[in-house]
Amino acid sequence: MELIIPNTTEMWVNIAAFAILFVVLWKFAFPPITKMLDERANKIRESLEKAEDTRVEAERLLEEYKVQMAEARAEAAQVIEQGRKVAESMKAEILAKAREEAEAEKSKAVAAIKAEKESAMAELKGEVADLSVAVAGKILGTSITKADHEALIDKYLAEVGSLNEN
Amino acid sequence: MDQMPVKMEHLLHELSVLPLSEGAGFSLTNYMFWLIIAVVMVLVFFVAASRKVKLVPSGIGNMAEAGVDFVRNSICVDVIGPEGKKYFPFLGTIFFFVLFNNLLGNIPPALPGTGTVGTTFTWAIIVFIVYNAIGIKKLGFFKYIGSLVPKGTPWWLSWLLFLIELISHLLRPFTLGVRLFANMYAGHIMLGVFAAFAGIFIEQLSPASIAIVPLSVVMQIALRVFELLVAVLQAYIFTILTAVYIGGALEAGSH
Repeated sequence: MELIIPNTTEMWVNIAAFAILFVVLWKFAFPPITKMLDERANKIRESLEKAEDTRVEAERLLEEYKVQMAEARAEAAQVIEQGRKVAESMKAEILAKAREEAEAEKSKAVAAIKAEKESAMAELKGEVADLSVAVAGKILGTSITKADHEALIDKYLAEVGSLNEN
Repeated sequence: MDQMPVKMEHLLHELSVLPLSEGAGFSLTNYMFWLIIAVVMVLVFFVAASRKVKLVPSGIGNMAEAGVDFVRNSICVDVIGPEGKKYFPFLGTIFFFVLFNNLLGNIPPALPGTGTVGTTFTWAIIVFIVYNAIGIKKLGFFKYIGSLVPKGTPWWLSWLLFLIELISHLLRPFTLGVRLFANMYAGHIMLGVFAAFAGIFIEQLSPASIAIVPLSVVMQIALRVFELLVAVLQAYIFTILTAVYIGGALEAGSH
């Protein structure tokens, strides 16, 4: 039974031990340690928050760069497209001009040929008339009257003309 | 084997509370001698550690921080709530006092300062006074006493509930004290018994010695490891129960 009856001396020693331990730990030993623990917890929290901020900022910048890049690309495409259009219209213009010039050249040539042909025709007509009178005179051996002469020429020419038409 | 009673007598005598000097008047006991050493160790350890704390922890500062953080968060805050940090100096004092005494008692020839009721009852009574004082300070004396009976209890039942609650509160220092004392005392009895076995069978060699001596040594080692666990566990239990009592006193008015 004496086992569970506290010894008075031991009780006083323990009261003193508690008092000394509590005061020293409470006033001197624990505060620097708990302060450091809180400081570290704060520091870690701050670092995490800062890291998060940095991440958000980086993401924002990346997004911005992406937008800028897309804009630049669209602009470049526009410039190329514009260049292509200008080139195409220039090409069409040059072609039209060339075609026009060729057309003009051609029609000029056709007109010249036509005029040449007409003058040649007229010349030929005169020569054929004289020649055929001379040939006819030689064959007939006689001279025919002026009226006969002209009737013959017209008849002959009509024949030649119809030949020419065929 | 006939030596066993003598050895047991000797063991029980060794583990009983003995004055260091046989004269009259004030004398420290065997347990108090080791208790004072443990207290000095706590003081030296924490005062040294508190000078060594750095933002990047290392060495002794790191060890002290781990212990402080454990008591502050895993006991104070987890049991009492965010306001539990306020009671850390008290709970920390209890935890490290009990822990250092329990652990020192594991190193022969030291005795655990907590292996005597003179220590455990004194600390349990301190806990009893402190947690009730916290409750009274928060609610006032009569409201705190009144909070022993839940609100809305019929009058004919309230006196009975009051009596039961009062007894359960008065028993707390007793159970708290006995639990710690019995764990430490019983552990040392067990260690002593196996040491005595080994001693007897070495002194009187017999065929049985071949089996019993190695077995006793193995048990001795296993029990030492087990006692380390008990030392930490009992410090934790004593402290967490104190936290539970403080938490209960703080919440007394709210139900």
